[in-house]
Amino acid sequence: MLAYVIRRLIQSFFVLLIVLLVTFTLPYFEPGGILAPAYIVLGTHANKATIAQWGIQNGMNHPYFIRFWSYLTQVFFHFNLGHSYKQNMSVWEIISLYIPRTIWLALTALLLTIFIAVPLGMVQAARRNTTFDYAATGTAFILYAIPSFLLCMLMLQTFSFGIFHLPAQPPSGVSPWAMFTDPVPFVLPVACLTLLGVAGISRFMRGTVLEVLVQDYVRTAKAKGCSNRQVLFRHAFRNALGPIVTILGLSIPALFGGALIIESVFNYSGLGIQTVNAAQLLDVPTVLGITLLVSILTLFGNLIADIMLGIVNPRVRVESSSS
Amino acid sequence: MSTSSEVTERSKPESNVIIPLWKQRIRIFLHNKLAVASVLFLLCIIIICFLGPLLYHTNQTDQNLALGNPWNQAPSARHWLGTDSNGFDVLGRIFYGGEYSLTLGILAGFITIIFGTIYGMVAGFFGGIVDTVLMRILDALLSIPYIFLLITMVTLFSRSTLFLILIIGLTGWWGNARIIRGDALLIRKLEYSQASSAMGASKLHIIFRHVYPNSISNIVTVATFSVADAILYLSALGFLGLGIQPPQTDWGTMLQNGANQITNGYWWEIYPLAIIFVLVVVSINYVGDALRDVFEVRLLER
Repeated sequence: MLAYVIRRLIQSFFVLLIVLLVTFTLPYFEPGGILAPAYIVLGTHANKATIAQWGIQNGMNHPYFIRFWSYLTQVFFHFNLGHSYKQNMSVWEIISLYIPRTIWLALTALLLTIFIAVPLGMVQAARRNTTFDYAATGTAFILYAIPSFLLCMLMLQTFSFGIFHLPAQPPSGVSPWAMFTDPVPFVLPVACLTLLGVAGISRFMRGTVLEVLVQDYVRTAKAKGCSNRQVLFRHAFRNALGPIVTILGLSIPALFGGALIIESVFNYSGLGIQTVNAAQLLDVPTVLGITLLVSILTLFGNLIADIMLGIVNPRVRVESSSS
Repeated sequence: MSTSSEVTERSKPESNVIIPLWKQRIRIFLHNKLAVASVLFLLCIIIICFLGPLLYHTNQTDQNLALGNPWNQAPSARHWLGTDSNGFDVLGRIFYGGEYSLTLGILAGFITIIFGTIYGMVAGFFGGIVDTVLMRILDALLSIPYIFLLITMVTLFSRSTLFLILIIGLTGWWGNARIIRGDALLIRKLEYSQASSAMGASKLHIIFRHVYPNSISNIVTVATFSVADAILYLSALGFLGLGIQPPQTDWGTMLQNGANQITNGYWWEIYPLAIIFVLVVVSINYVGDALRDVFEVRLLER
């Protein structure tokens, strides 16, 4: 198990290096190249010599790989995600307060998604081709086709202005624990993000359990006299756990993507809103910094999913060590 | 004796007349009523979006905000679906935005499938170290949440229509590549590829003669879903105000404008378009599902 975890760690590290390479290299393709920020600092009419001077002062004249190395050390050892020239602050300063809020939003929604989608998918598989199954599949299909922002808007309209009168937007203070001390205003954003997740994952769970239910060992279990309930929980559920953990790991990028949309709809001050604001300001370093941070969070989530997969499915540990 | 005569009798019409493959495929597709309805619906929407403006003349360039002018007006004989908060005719705007959303979605979808197919085939077919390297790069790219990446690209470069097609097209193929690589990996190991290779066929020949035709079902299905995804992502960008810029518009931007008016009770600014939009995406997904069945070899010759 330890060897498996270490191998996964090394793999994640290389993947992280590639992500860093992408976020580091993209500004080179910006119109104006890496010297583009100079025009923000010095004004649009600055002359060439001044721009070059500024470039030298900020280390822009160093070769690509030396700059990449300093970028790496800054990110890894100083949590320095860059400097926003538009807002004249470090990117970390701009976003650090919002990180916990986005993480709590995503994590709560992920947990709720698991607790709703997994039983839902199992019930659908156990009672396949019944009215309930068709209704759930149809709903998931429609939810999948609605743009997430429209779904959130309609939820907002229904549950905030129509019935229940839930608060339309959570308090914009940046206290990370607000979600747990005062949960009511957070109900709608979390519910929307959960709904988006459930739409995708319950369908997958249904398919996985259906696949397991036709296996020989399930038939054997039935033949030796297991009740349907026992078959479902002892055999089908445990064998479907592996694919579910995998798909949950793969859905983490979509989770953060959904969080971005939901933050924009509900004006939930978090990383997503900061990204959109920075994009509207054309503040490249902040957008890149947040993208990098969210990618690191995703990688971290994938790593946890991989380790969980090793725990629930012993075959993975053995197979990957032999190959 | 009786059973064998039955068999010959039953197989007679099929053995005499060989139905061409494409006819069988069209027959399977036509058998799926829902998919046929979806295709007809999509065709209708495309035709209406492009030809509608010729019959239903509206002004989609000049805002109409002067006092007493018609904005946020309920549907009437003059404006069939009313006007929006900028004084534009909503029905005309749906045509106009649809032209952009559909064109962008289809073009971007096609670009993604070309890149995804090439990348996936190369990785899956050559296997070994090539596969490992290409797939690790893909893992890295896929761990960047896609909407964040789109926002980054839009911030870094421009927001012109052409550029939006290019960025969605050039960044949307990573998931596709993974699916097609899985296919190529599987087919490469099957007997006919192995036999072909043993008889001295070149790698290029095997790719074009065996791997590509046998993974076409997945390629076509994935291409269809890519179009739906491209339309959805474009609408998300439009919602964030980072998509197609005024005076042009797309359905995402329109939905966002309409959703802002929802609490005022101006239903005509959002619900007609929302229903069309969702139906378009659902139809594309249904067509994708049906196409998968069409290319499923096991369903042929029944």
